[in-house]
Amino acid sequence: MLGKRTWVENGLLAAAIFVVVAFCLFPFVQILSTSLKHQFDWGNPSLIPVKLNWNAYGELLGIRSAEQVDVPDSVKRLLENPSISESQRRKILDRYQTTSDVFPFLRYFLNTFMLSASAAAVSLCLSVFGAYALSRLRFTGQTVIQRSILFVYMVGGVLLMVPLYQMSVKIGLAKSVGGSLVSLLLIYIIQTLPVSLYMLGNYFRTIPYALEEAAAMDGCSRVEAVFVIIIPLSVPMLMTVFVYCFIIAWNEFLFASVFLKQFHQWHTLPLALQTLFMSKNAIWDRIMAASMLTMIPVVVCFLFAMRNLTGGLAEGGVKE
Amino acid sequence: MDLSIAQRESRLGWRFIAPSVGVIGLLIIYPILYNIYLSFFDVKLTGDKLFIGLANYQRLLSDAAFYGAAITTVLYLVGTVVGSTIIGLMVALLMNMTFPFRNLVRTLILLPYFAPVISVVFGWQFIFDPVNGIYNHLVVDVLKISSSRHSLIGNPNSALGVVILFDIWKHFPLSYMLIISKLQSINKDQYEAAAMDGCGPIGRFVHVTLPELYFVLGTLMLLRMIWNLNKFEDVFLLAPNVETLPIFTYYAAFTGIIDQGFAASISVVQFGVLALLIYFYVKKVLKW
Repeated sequence: MLGKRTWVENGLLAAAIFVVVAFCLFPFVQILSTSLKHQFDWGNPSLIPVKLNWNAYGELLGIRSAEQVDVPDSVKRLLENPSISESQRRKILDRYQTTSDVFPFLRYFLNTFMLSASAAAVSLCLSVFGAYALSRLRFTGQTVIQRSILFVYMVGGVLLMVPLYQMSVKIGLAKSVGGSLVSLLLIYIIQTLPVSLYMLGNYFRTIPYALEEAAAMDGCSRVEAVFVIIIPLSVPMLMTVFVYCFIIAWNEFLFASVFLKQFHQWHTLPLALQTLFMSKNAIWDRIMAASMLTMIPVVVCFLFAMRNLTGGLAEGGVKE
Repeated sequence: MDLSIAQRESRLGWRFIAPSVGVIGLLIIYPILYNIYLSFFDVKLTGDKLFIGLANYQRLLSDAAFYGAAITTVLYLVGTVVGSTIIGLMVALLMNMTFPFRNLVRTLILLPYFAPVISVVFGWQFIFDPVNGIYNHLVVDVLKISSSRHSLIGNPNSALGVVILFDIWKHFPLSYMLIISKLQSINKDQYEAAAMDGCGPIGRFVHVTLPELYFVLGTLMLLRMIWNLNKFEDVFLLAPNVETLPIFTYYAAFTGIIDQGFAASISVVQFGVLALLIYFYVKKVLKW
C-alpha cells in the first residue's frame, strides 16, 4: 500500500494467497477427482486418478437410461392413449421401473430446470411492475408495503414449512403430483419475489427520471414508459435478477423434500441426489459426477451474471 | 376521467404492486399468522386438528431436546458468524493488495458461495469419510495423531464442528465481497496521513481501516445471524445428526411421530427471535 514490498513480504503474500485459494478450491478438486476414479482408487489420497473412469458420467448422461429399456411397445401404445389420466400413466410406468437402479439424471435435470425457470420468470414479471411502482410512483399505503417487503425478504422458508404444507393439504394440492408441483412453483415464486423486488427497485432508481419525462412529452403514458424506457434500459439487470432467482430455486431442497418425496419421477436434482446418497452406500463416483453436473449450470450462470451480481450483492441485495 | 394526477398515479401504483402484494400476503404473511394459529392445535399430517390450547408450548418448555437444539443453534451461530466475518475480513485485506492474477483469484474464491449446497456437501462428506477420506488419512497414517479412523460426521459433537467449518467456508466469500467493496472506497490520503503520524501497518489498520468498516462488519454479522438462524440445507445435508432449531422442527413436522402442531410452536418461538433481529436490520441497515 505504501512503498514497495521486500521479497520476504512477497513470499509471505504468495503463501497466504495460495492457502486461501487451496482452502476454497480443495473440495471442488476432490469432487472432480473422485468422480473420475475407479472404486479401487477411492482410498488413495492422491487427487489424480490412477486410471480415468468416465462410466459415472456416461451412465448419468443417459448412455443407458431407465425409461427406454424396459417398457414394451404395447404398453407404450397404451400410454399414448389420451384418455388415461396422468396418475394412471405414472402407475403403469412405475411398474416397469421399480427394478432399475439407474439414476435418471436428465429427467431430474429437466424437472429442476422447468421449475426453476418458470419460478424465476413469474417472479421477474411480477417484480418489474411491483418494483416500478415502489421506486417511481407515489400511492397510498406505500410505506407499509415497502416495510412489509423488507421484512418478509428476511423470513426464511423454514418458518413457513408447516403452515404452507397444511395449506396445500387443506385445499387438496398435496395429494397429487400436479398439485404438489404447483405448490412448489408457488413457493419458489415467493422465495424469490421479495429479493427481486428489492434488487430491481434499487436499480430502477438509478435510471434518470428525465428520460421518462421526455417520453411523456412525446405522448407516452406511464404504462408505455415502463415498456419503452425502463425495461430496455434494465436488460442486463433483469437478466441478473432472473439468474439469481433461478439459482435460488435450482438449489432449493427443503420444500422439494416435503412436497415431492413420494413422487420419484418428479424429484428435483437436490432431492434426487440426497436420496441417492442415503439409499445406497458410497457409490462415490456416481454421486460426485452427479454433483459436478448439478453444479455446472450454476457456475455457468454465475460467471455469466457475475459483474452485475456482485455489484448488486454489495448493495445488500442478497437472499439465502 | 376527472381524477387528479396524484390520484391517477396512486391507482396505477396499486395496479402495478397488487399482484406482488397479493402473492406475498397469501403465501408469506398469511402462513406466518396461520402458523401461530396452528401452534394451539394438535395437527395431523392429513390436516385434522384438535384444539389443545397451550399444551404444545408447555411440552416445548419441558422438552430437554428443545433446549439441546437451542444450545446447538447458539454454538452454530457463534461459530459461523464470528468465523465467516473474521475470515472474510482477512481475505478482503489480502485481496486488497496488488499481485499478479488478482482478478482470477478474486473470482475463484467466490465459488464456494455460489456453488449449490447439494453438490459441495458430498465433497465434504468424502473428505471426512472414515474409509476413503483424506482427513483420516492425514490424521491416522501421516501425522499419527490418532491410532484409529473416526467418522467425524457420524458423531454429533464433532459433526457440529465440521458443519461450522463448512459454513464458514461456504459463506465467508459474501463477507469478503461486502468488506472489500468498502475497503476500496477508503480514501488513500487517510493512510498517508496516518503514516506521517508515525503509525505502522497495524496502527493504520486499527486507526483507519477498522473505524471505516464498523458499519459493514455489524451489518454482516447481523445478516449472517438472521440467515443462519433459518439455515436448513447446509446443516441437514452435511450432517443430519446436528440438530439446530430448523432441523429439530423439520423432524417434528415430517418424520417419526409426526406432530405438526408442536413443530408450529417451535417455529413461533424461533420467529419471535428472528423478528427482533430483522427489526434491527430493517431499521439500521436496509434502505430503498
